Amino acid sequence: MRKLQTEVLVIGGGATGTGVFRDSAMRGFKAILVEKRDLSHGTTGRYHGLLHSGGRYAVKDPHAAKECIAENLILRRIMPQCIEDTGGFFVLTPWDDPNYVPLFFKGCQIASIPIEEIPTTLMLKNEPLLNPYIQRCFRVPDAAADSFLATELNVESGKQYGGQSLTYHEVIELIKSGDKIVGARCRDLIKDEEVQIQADMTVNASGAWAGKLSSTVGILVQILPGKGTMVAMNHRVVNTVINRCKMPSDGDIIVPIHTVAVIGTTDVRVSDPDNFAIEPWEIQLMFEEGKKLIPGLESMRLLRAWAGVRPLYQETQTSQSRDISRAYVLLDHEERDGIKGLITITSGKWTTYRLMAQAAVDLVCQKVGVQRSCRTHLEPLPGDVEQGYHYLGKRFAQVEAKADYGELICECELVTQAEVIQSITDGEAKTIDDVRRDTRLGMGPCQGGFCTYRIAGLLNRLHHPPIEEINVSLRDFLQERWKGLLPLLFGQQLRQERLDELIYLSLLNTDHLPGPKISSLSPDMYDIPKEEEQLPPNKEAVKTHRLEPYKLAEPINTFIGPQTDVIIIGAGLAGLTAAWKVSEAGLKVHVLTKGWGATHWHTGCVDVLGYHPIVNQYPVESPINALAQLIEGQSHHPYAICGPSTIREAIDAIKNLFIESGYPLRGTLKTNWLLPSSLGSIRPTCLAPETMIAGDLRRKDPMLIVGFEGLLDFYPGIIADNLVEQGFLAREVMLDLISLRKRHFTYTSTLSRLFETADFQAEVVEALKPKIGNANRVGFPAVLGIENPMGVLKFLQGSLDCEIFEIPTLPPSLPGIRMHNILVKAIESAGGSVLEGIEVLDAEFKHNHVNTVRSEAAARYKPHRAKSYILATGGILGGGTVGYLDGSIREAIFDLPISTPIKRLKWFKRDFFDHLGHPIFQCGIEVDEEFHPLDRYGGIIYRNLYATGNSLGYCDAIRERSFDGIALATGYAVADHVINQ
Amino acid sequence: MSTHPDSLTIDWESSAPFQSVELSLDQCIKCNICVTKCPVSAVTDLFPGPKFEGPQAGRFRQINQPTPDQSVDYCSGCRVCNMACPTGVKIAEINARARARLVEAGKISIKRRLRNNIIARSELLGKVGQPLSTLANAALSSPIVRKVIEAGLDIHQKAPLPAFAKYRFSSWFRQHDPPKGLTRKVVYFHGCSTEYYEPHVGRAAVHVLEANGFEVIVPPQNCCSLPLLSNGEFRAARKYHNQNIQHLLPYTNQSIPIVGTSTSCTLTLKEEAPELLGMNNQEARLVAQNVFDINEFLLGLLDEGILNYDLKPLPFTMVYHAPCQYRAHRLGKPALEIMKLIPKLELLDSHADCCGIAGTYGYKVEKYQISMDVGHSLFEFVRKANGPITICDSETCRWQITHATQTPTVHPIELLSAAYGYEPEGPLADILE
Repeated sequence: MRKLQTEVLVIGGGATGTGVFRDSAMRGFKAILVEKRDLSHGTTGRYHGLLHSGGRYAVKDPHAAKECIAENLILRRIMPQCIEDTGGFFVLTPWDDPNYVPLFFKGCQIASIPIEEIPTTLMLKNEPLLNPYIQRCFRVPDAAADSFLATELNVESGKQYGGQSLTYHEVIELIKSGDKIVGARCRDLIKDEEVQIQADMTVNASGAWAGKLSSTVGILVQILPGKGTMVAMNHRVVNTVINRCKMPSDGDIIVPIHTVAVIGTTDVRVSDPDNFAIEPWEIQLMFEEGKKLIPGLESMRLLRAWAGVRPLYQETQTSQSRDISRAYVLLDHEERDGIKGLITITSGKWTTYRLMAQAAVDLVCQKVGVQRSCRTHLEPLPGDVEQGYHYLGKRFAQVEAKADYGELICECELVTQAEVIQSITDGEAKTIDDVRRDTRLGMGPCQGGFCTYRIAGLLNRLHHPPIEEINVSLRDFLQERWKGLLPLLFGQQLRQERLDELIYLSLLNTDHLPGPKISSLSPDMYDIPKEEEQLPPNKEAVKTHRLEPYKLAEPINTFIGPQTDVIIIGAGLAGLTAAWKVSEAGLKVHVLTKGWGATHWHTGCVDVLGYHPIVNQYPVESPINALAQLIEGQSHHPYAICGPSTIREAIDAIKNLFIESGYPLRGTLKTNWLLPSSLGSIRPTCLAPETMIAGDLRRKDPMLIVGFEGLLDFYPGIIADNLVEQGFLAREVMLDLISLRKRHFTYTSTLSRLFETADFQAEVVEALKPKIGNANRVGFPAVLGIENPMGVLKFLQGSLDCEIFEIPTLPPSLPGIRMHNILVKAIESAGGSVLEGIEVLDAEFKHNHVNTVRSEAAARYKPHRAKSYILATGGILGGGTVGYLDGSIREAIFDLPISTPIKRLKWFKRDFFDHLGHPIFQCGIEVDEEFHPLDRYGGIIYRNLYATGNSLGYCDAIRERSFDGIALATGYAVADHVINQ
Repeated sequence: MSTHPDSLTIDWESSAPFQSVELSLDQCIKCNICVTKCPVSAVTDLFPGPKFEGPQAGRFRQINQPTPDQSVDYCSGCRVCNMACPTGVKIAEINARARARLVEAGKISIKRRLRNNIIARSELLGKVGQPLSTLANAALSSPIVRKVIEAGLDIHQKAPLPAFAKYRFSSWFRQHDPPKGLTRKVVYFHGCSTEYYEPHVGRAAVHVLEANGFEVIVPPQNCCSLPLLSNGEFRAARKYHNQNIQHLLPYTNQSIPIVGTSTSCTLTLKEEAPELLGMNNQEARLVAQNVFDINEFLLGLLDEGILNYDLKPLPFTMVYHAPCQYRAHRLGKPALEIMKLIPKLELLDSHADCCGIAGTYGYKVEKYQISMDVGHSLFEFVRKANGPITICDSETCRWQITHATQTPTVHPIELLSAAYGYEPEGPLADILE
């Protein structure tokens, strides 16, 4: 047990607590701040980011309005770097009562809030997405505030004045001695030890948790936690704070903050600040209300949702928590409860945190009998006050100024390697989530999809902690992101999530890495929503989801000319396999694809079946045996529809094609390879390109894993450490090559181009040769060229005198591109064609046949006509199947029925890594034994339409590790039926 | 309130262009496919790639906010990224609009902006230069003059400036006697290159259309505005596009189709101009929907069963390069399908992404080498094929290919015209003799 002594102990690392910490330190008190998690972990880090002008309270709470505008002006002065001067609009929509306007205007004037009415034309010029039917618009000095940064800077300032800040110190109880509180007993969650802090005065600034805390010494402080749910849009749909001009209520505000726009909020009383759910109706409400401000909002992407708890203090019963005064509460427990040494400061709002802190420290002074005046309103917080307000493009400008393109760990939020390193080494970041709060890492569209891997690699490089710690913090962070995604995964965010699954499950096998599944620092999940979702299907939302601003013109030609034999929609492995086989049979094939397919994301191997049943901890040894079991047990599974002999034929056929192409795929259905992933986990796969097989982990000879300084998508250290942890002999080496050092960025695609040049090959060999040591085999990231990887492989093997293997990297997948190229070439040499950039939108039918499909072509529809059509657009990941907020799931082109539709609440499990997978991903098209899509009654819908690949239902290929196998086998099988028709 | 708010409908047409470009960034799932395809970031690290510049930077680049950009100016606008994107992000358009904001914010130096305004004013250049063609061509082929121009205007001394033609296409057309018995009408949009540099392309087009029974109308017309659009000069571009709408609208109102031989002109009229400039009025839409690339149009005739099949064999093997701007029509390769009808003509599809020139991009001193590096694999293909001639739909691409490989390059319509028995002109004449 540690013991500490201080004058003022501040409990709570939110805005108020850190404000009190700074203020007391500035007034010369010896101060300690304790926070149970990271700074801003509570309500401060979970609000929308509004710096109030006071306009929202102008009518309802004039006193609060006055406080807000006064503090607004002070904060702009002392922390401009935390504030973006967006300004705010109060707008009167057709849904709002015009009689509120004069009250509002007068209220603002009384509170001295600068207000001016602007013409709605000017409003629309500034904010073109706003509802053009808005009738009036008033401008006030609202702004956006970075509460994370402000909290951090308050602490930094407090420390400069001699204060001490202890994060991950949870107060277990206050210590009472007679009628006085003399400190607190805490637990250091990182070191797992008890810490006792003696204090002359203790300030309870734990917000919504203030009641829980004071109850440890039997003091009743009734806090009414008011849950507020917020939703972040993928980008800034507005750049001004938009408020509805009406009495404050749910979903009536949009705050642009950093790269997102936040719609807020709801206000629901909850019984416990630690346990509450985000209910579907809250998301729906935010949507419905948001649409009134921004029509078309339903077609935009939502990023994530979160909820915070307002700490509203209650001396008497009130039914509606928002009606409680928003002014702060300062409790002198000596006066109130006869207990000395303790005061509580709570309630209020972020905008007035400084004022609250001032009041609290004034009381502290009074209690200890000194007179020291507050200076927090005079002295700016540490940092670049000179540089003025933050602005949206600031980070981007910094990256551009230094051409830091190759330094980005989090690409979405432009977080550089240097910022992350600073957060880890100089800052107090203990978890990846702490780094996020410091840097915004992982807060963009992909929600950690790419940066989680990178930061795990970086953490390992910097600190070299036990590898299990890295593994669990990686899993913790993915779970933390998952938590906020769960309430609103649909549309493109759902597709993004599926890509993240492909990366962390299939590509990196994170769920089978050594170490505990979660740590004690893993995030608390929201509760399971109690309410059953009963929303009527929203046809409008479905219609407008596709961005189709123009009406396309009909083609002018009345007659559609020569038919081709087969049109295949989609160019993933399934579509290309089918096209290859059909064109080899002499039929004329057109592949139409919107863009390139999943081959570009996956490993370039053919996973047939990696885990069966999917809960199994150990990989499948023999795919053929496991397949037999699977087919036996799951009659609807795509593999069961293909049948084992077709699967075998497909495997043989693709092996032959690749051998002919000089890039052999090795392996058989009898045994799975066990190959290392880019995290060092063991990845089971059936066929692997010859460039990868020396990585086989059924062998035990020593390996050297090679990384490249400047390449952020591959960390040899984490691979080697995990391999060692699992009993293999592995070392790492990082090559620092001159030719890369001078580049602004090095992507995997850059390296693959370089590896095709003799100069670079020589440079690599020269740098690597002395490092090989006892290694028998050397693992590279999978970047050994596109055109001639076998040549590069042989050259390296010859020059380094050891075996070489590739390890698949984060997307893009160079081996996948090789696979794609070989198939496209085979299709073209058999007389078929692959047309890119062609998005098939819909189809026309005659009787029970598909007559034409129509694609988008600049200003017109382009019709395409064939005898048979194969749908190979993929499932949710491929974009062929789309999930909507109302819980409907639709096939995008033919509107084919999707199997096992389930309520949205049941789409997902609570854990990202749930071993059974998320039920939504079992959804797909139901087909007969010839791959004709079926209607709800089991009848064939269109006689000349087939569906294949991952668009099929009844399997979750990513969890099964059958992603490529399903595509290959069903693509091959469907071709048979089309040829034989 | 007179109407219930829920019954109000929004006029989406007016704000749709903003939606279609900037909002498309919401579709990005960060998958990096565009990054692997981008021909520019493959050859220079001054351009960090389409994902970085488009959907990623787009989130930091909202309206009424300062423009933090620099590197987006290195986007060539080839649209290869758009074509590969599986989620439908309009990356090249996001970049084009970002560049326009750079121009607006004064972030392009005065010298460069002057240069851009000269090379982007193809109509003005033609009007001034063509009447003095002999003198101008002589001057522009002098290395010393080119060095001076490079020093003064940042136009690369080696960049393939075309030679002015001896006559204008439109003056030829005025004197042209159409054959008798033409039953249907079509408008021909010749564009600046046909008018001032390669009138033989226009003559071939007229011949082919007439051979198919069309009376060709050539109304007055202006530059399609693409060079201005790709240099971020939106204000001037808007003026041109408005004028073209006025020129063309009378014909679209009579349902007379408009065909063009320049793939970039037709794409601009169809999509680029209205979308980038946010011109979404009825007139702009009508014109856009009535514009066709000439081979797209001929393919339509083939579909209708009325294409003239009377084609002479051309027993040659030639490389065909479908320009990036042509593929961006999202039609596949109609020219390839039409040329396949010519007996004995053997075509080698280059499969190359981009020749590098990208309109005016490769003319700029800071981008010339990038453009040559981008086109490298195409040039190699052309050299290896060693055909007598190369075929390509887009004018600047033809000039670039000829510049880099020293092989003459012609428009597909010239071959077709020859196959219909019209006398070939220009480089094709020498080969087919």
